[in-house]
This record gives sequence, structure tokens and C-alpha cells, in this order.
Amino acid sequence: MEKQPILELRNIRKTFDKLVALDDVSFSLLPGEIHGLLGGNGAGKTTLMNILYGLYRKDQGDIYLNGEKIEIHGPRDALNRGIGMVHQHFLQISNYTVLENIVLGTGITHRYTMKLEPETRKVEELCQRFGLPVDLNAVISTLPIGTRQKVEILKALYRGVKILILDEPTTNLTPQEVDALFESLRVMVNDGLSIVFITHKLREVLSVCDRITVLREGRNITTLDRKDASEDVFVRAMVGEQMNIEKSVYFARDTKTFGEVDTTAAPILRLSQVNLISKEGVPRLKDVSFDIFPGEIFGIAGVAGNGQRELAEVAAGIVPPTSGKIEQNGKDVTGLPVAERLRRGLSYIPEDRLHDGFLPKASVAQNLILGVHRQRPTATAASSTGKRSTRKPASRLASTTSKPADRKNPAAISPAATFSG
Amino acid sequence: METLITFLRLVLLSMVPFVLASQGTMLGGRTGIFNVAQEGIMLLGASLGFLVSYQVGNNFVGMLAAMAAGAVFGLLLAYFTTTLKMNQFFIGLSLFFIGVGLSTLLPKLIIGITLSPPLIPTLPEVSIPLLSQIPLLGPILFRQNGLVYFSIVLSLLLWYFLYRTQRGLELRAVGENPMTADSLGINVVRARYWTAILGGALIGLAGAYLPMVYTGTFTEAMTRGRGWLAIALTFFGGWSPLTILTGSLFFAGVEVLAFRAQVIGLALPYQYLLMVPYLATILIMILTFRKARVPAFLGQNYDREKRNL
Ligand SMILES: Nc1ncnc2c1ncn2[C@@H]1O[C@H](COP(=O)(O)OP(=O)(O)OP(=O)(O)O)[C@@H](O)[C@H]1O
Ligand SMILES: [Mg+2]
Repeated sequence: MEKQPILELRNIRKTFDKLVALDDVSFSLLPGEIHGLLGGNGAGKTTLMNILYGLYRKDQGDIYLNGEKIEIHGPRDALNRGIGMVHQHFLQISNYTVLENIVLGTGITHRYTMKLEPETRKVEELCQRFGLPVDLNAVISTLPIGTRQKVEILKALYRGVKILILDEPTTNLTPQEVDALFESLRVMVNDGLSIVFITHKLREVLSVCDRITVLREGRNITTLDRKDASEDVFVRAMVGEQMNIEKSVYFARDTKTFGEVDTTAAPILRLSQVNLISKEGVPRLKDVSFDIFPGEIFGIAGVAGNGQRELAEVAAGIVPPTSGKIEQNGKDVTGLPVAERLRRGLSYIPEDRLHDGFLPKASVAQNLILGVHRQRPTATAASSTGKRSTRKPASRLASTTSKPADRKNPAAISPAATFSG
Repeated sequence: METLITFLRLVLLSMVPFVLASQGTMLGGRTGIFNVAQEGIMLLGASLGFLVSYQVGNNFVGMLAAMAAGAVFGLLLAYFTTTLKMNQFFIGLSLFFIGVGLSTLLPKLIIGITLSPPLIPTLPEVSIPLLSQIPLLGPILFRQNGLVYFSIVLSLLLWYFLYRTQRGLELRAVGENPMTADSLGINVVRARYWTAILGGALIGLAGAYLPMVYTGTFTEAMTRGRGWLAIALTFFGGWSPLTILTGSLFFAGVEVLAFRAQVIGLALPYQYLLMVPYLATILIMILTFRKARVPAFLGQNYDREKRNL
């Protein structure tokens, strides 16, 4: 017998100003399945699920829960109907404890004393059952990303949701953490939950999902059973026919040819005996030394929170090391300001791009020239047109830079914050 | 000894407008609404509170009127910033000017210009039975006007509410991260409205205190910057009710000292003494501001469908 879908979205349409984020999208979720929602950046995955969760209002379309048409006006409605969501960018109060974050917004037994023993017991039981160990009294801001993710899932489980949406839950996890997450998901499904798993990583979808829906540019392309489909089918569906998959950076296969790195050449970046002690007096980096040679991709591995971020910031000159030496092209650059480091050919893409990487309200073009705005091409071009404005040369830079990524957002002058991941 | 008791009594007495105005500011700020109209709202509260009690012959009704005026200003602030999503500082400053203007206009309209200023009776001293008999503490703490007690109890209640109740936990979340609060079904808009309104009412009451305790009448600009000081004090108090209460004691102490020095007749132009509270503020801000914790979303507006990062 065919199973009845527990949830159905029919013909959903959503626009942001002129941008059509979702165009006639339908989606259905069967009870007890893990349903992958696959699509590239900006395909509309988050938007679709935000509509289901009541954060965005749909322009058109209907939502059915257990065959009955429902209206969702806000997250409260969604939660009341047993729909929970783990957001792409965690929604947590960073100066609250884990426990406070989990119980926030729910009815607390001792609401006028805030003695949280009953809640603690309930959460601890959930941690046990689903294999999500967390220290409930830790303050969120002190936790690594992987743990914060567990908190986010616990929040939904604590509310007893029947349908759980996970928006790109694996982005910041180590492979081990991803495996642990998948195991937890299996336990949840066996417990009667249905799960929507958003991602743009094909391998994850194939390893954990039962069915997969592909979105592309705000339209749904297809829904397939995992058993019926090969990787290639999905790649085609995700990127469309016109794109050359073999050359796409996005789907680069494992068979890459590596160039020879000449380790006898002069290193382009050298760290010697770098130490860093944080403001709180905690040592973050201890005697770190390495050389990076021209043409090399130099990987740094480790579980989040073990100093990678600090190392990157020290190497990029954003944080000065407590002791040690940094050389770029053989010259000592240890104390130099970031601007000078950039001028010497260094570039830094931070871990947390939302907070450190750009100005959300400035346009794409402005963001791109930020930092190089003192240099010749932009500066002269701006002054030669006799205008103060940097818009023209900046847009040119933006259009050359963004071509490969093929962003569908109309112009280089849209505020950067409106983009998806 | 006698002077010390008198001094401390006066400090407690003068603390009230600071406490009320700062707790009002703090309450709105806890949901992200940063009121900067205190000076205007206090002046309006002083003016209206005085006028109503003069006309009705009842200070309590005057206080209610001042609170109502403050509440309306709080409501306007909430409406323009939360519903219409307009800039908080811009709206706050406009409300400040409106408050100042109304405060001088209303007496002229209602009473007109008189030779000798009309007077209302000041608030009576309320002795608490038994407690007021305790040596030292009795006269300092328990022989004060009703609003002294009110402001202390209010501060304690606010602390309890914010840190020991479920609603308090939710309220603080709104000022830290409204998107998170919203995603958990907490009504962000409602929280912002009621805190702004109640906060405004407290600020209005702080204004009414001035004619009802200090002067018995309304004079132009009689707040003398206490509204602005209240903002500084709120920061200094780390947006937390108990620290604000302690901070108010300090501000009041400085104020009383400056006033005393004036009375004794120090060989210093009195303008210098008037500067003391402000200088003290600046000093304190410099010393404590770096450590002070501010609600993360203070002064911003939340829009569910916009990406406010
Ligand atoms: N609040 C918003 N305001 C304006 N535009 C938005 C908003 N949210 C999403 N968009 C736009 O809608 C489109 C779909 O975005 P969405 O976030 O749903 O993509 P996504 O599939 O989740 O991508 P990613 O994998 O990068 O998270 C994008 O072009 C994005 O820029
Ligand atoms: Mg997304």
C-alpha cells in the first residue's frame, strides 16, 4: 500500500522584491523517511523550509499536514503542529547556557523560581537516547560549532517535534561528527520522526536519505528514490544541462592531478615558533612553525576549537602573535598592519564569513573592493571619471569576479546580506 | 552623626528619579528598544504631573497622569520603531523635542502666567511602623516618601522578573537575539511594545517626582539633565536592575554633595559644582564602560523576512 504523505507543500511561490526565489515548488514528505533536499547555492532550499516553519510568508501555494490543509503564520504555529527546524545559521542566545537555550519559549515547570531540575532530567534523557552528549550548563559562546549543532537538534527534540528540518547541518562538522549525526538521525527516524535534510553535498544525501528532491533556481526538478538513481543523475539535475560538469569547481571529482611542489624554492609564507596567548590568558598556539611553498595547497586539520581559527588569523596578520616570526616572501611581516599584508599579495577568507568576511549591508561590488580600494586600478579609475563614486570600476571588478559562480541575483549592487550561503 | 543621617536620607530621596528613569530605560532596552527621549519625557511628566495634581488637588492622580503621558511616548516609540521600523535615535530625539516643547506649553495654556508660582503640596513622609524606630537605619530607610519605597521594591521585582522567571528569560532573549526568540515562538513585537510602554511610564513618573518632592511647582528645564544622566546610568549599571539601583545611589550622592557644597558656600562658582555630576558620569563611563554588558540587539529593529545579521 502506498504511504500517505505526512506533509505536503503544493505549488509554493515566493518572491523577494523582483527576485523569484521559489516558483511553483511542490514537496512531499512520507512518514518515517529522511528526505534529502538538494540544490546549489541560492536554489531556494532554505526559503522553502522557512516558509514551512513560518518564518517567511508564501505568496502562493498550500501546505497540507496529514492530508489536512493548514495555515502557518509563525514559528509558534509550526512548533505547535510538531514541525521543528535546525537553521543553517544557528539561532541561539550566545550568553545563555545550553539548558536555557533548549527550554527557552517552552512552558517551564517552576516558572517563578526557574529551578530547572525537571527540564534537566528530560534533556539528559534525550541526550542519552539520541546520542547527543552536551554539557547542559556550558554557556553557548564557549562551545565549538559541532556541539552547538547538537544543542540545536536537542531544542527541536525537546519540543517533541514529529517533523524535523535540518538546514545544511554538516557544513561545519568533522567527518566523525557527520557520522555521529547520521547515526542520531537514524535513531530519530526509528523513533517515529520524519526528517528533511537540506544539503548540497551529494555524497551525504546518497548515504543517508531515503528519497531526494532536487531544487534548482527556485524550481523543483525531480524527486527520486535513492535506490533508483546514480550520482550523475543528481548532478545533472542540480546544475542543469548547460553547465559543464567536468569543469565545474563545485563538483570536482576526486581524480585531481596534483602539481609538483618545489620544496627547495624559497617559501612564500613562513611561520617560526609562533605563540599566541588569548586575552583571557589561555595559550591558543604553541610554537607553531611551517613553510608554505609557491603553488602549494597547504592543509591544516584538527577538530574545531583547537587553534585553526587563531592560526589563520595570526597568519593573515589580523591578530598579532604573542611571540614568534611571520615571513612573507622572505621578508619579516610580523607586526605589519593587515592593509600592508594584503598589498603584498595575501588574501584571507575567514571561517565565519557572515561575521568577519563582509559588510552585509554594502553591495557585492563594494564588498569586493573593500581592502583593495586604496590601490591603483580602483582608485585611479574612480578619480579619472571625476567622481567620488567607486561604483563603476567596482561593478566591473564584481562582474569579472562573479562570472564563474554565475550568481543569479540581478546586479552587483544588491546588498550582500540578501544572498544565501 | 546627625549630618551623616541627614546626608544619607537625602541621598535616598534624590535617588528616586534616577532609579525610575533608568529602570524604565533598561526595561525597553532589554527588548532592543533604546529610548533616548528621557529628558523630554521627564519634563513632560513633571509638567503634566504638576498641572493635574494642581487642578485635581491630588498628587496621586498627578502621578498617574505623568505615567500615562510617558506610556503614550513609549507607545509612539514602539510603534514607529517596531511596526514602522524607523530609526530609533531619530524617533527618540523627536520625542525628546516634543516632550520639552509640551512641558513649557501646557502650563501656559492651563494656568497662564502668574505672579507667584502656584504650589502643590509635596509628598508626605510615610513612616513604617516599628522599622522606623531602628536607630540610624530607621530615619534613613524607613521615614521617606512613598516613591522611595516604590523605587527600591520596583528594582528588586525587576531583577526577580528578569532572572528568575520564564517570562524574564524570554524577554532577555528578545533583546539579545530576536530572530532566535521569534523562531521559538516568542512574540517579539508584543515584548517590545509592553516594555517600551511600561518603561515610558516609569520615566514619566521620574519626572513627576521633581515638582512633587523638590519644589512643589514646575519650572522650565527643571530636570537639569537628569534624563540624559539616566541613560549613562543605565549603561553604567550594565542594563541590570540591581546595579542600576546601586549606581543611582552613587549619582544621587554626587548630586547631594554638589548641592551641599553650594549651601555651605564653598569659594567656588556654583556652575562648577553643577558640573560635578556630569564629570563624575564621564569618569565612571570611562572606567566601567569597557566591561559593561549591553543587550546585543540594543537600538536595532527586527524584521522577520529581512536578513538582519
Ligand atoms: N530574506 C531574503 N531577502 C532577500 N532575498 C532572499 C532572502 N532569503 C533568500 N533570498 C534569496 O532567495 C534565493 C534563494 O535563497 P535560499 O537561501 O533559499 O537558497 P539556498 O538553496 O538555501 O542556498 P544555500 O545552499 O546557499 O543556503 C537566493 O537568491 C537568495 O539570495
Ligand atoms: Mg540555505
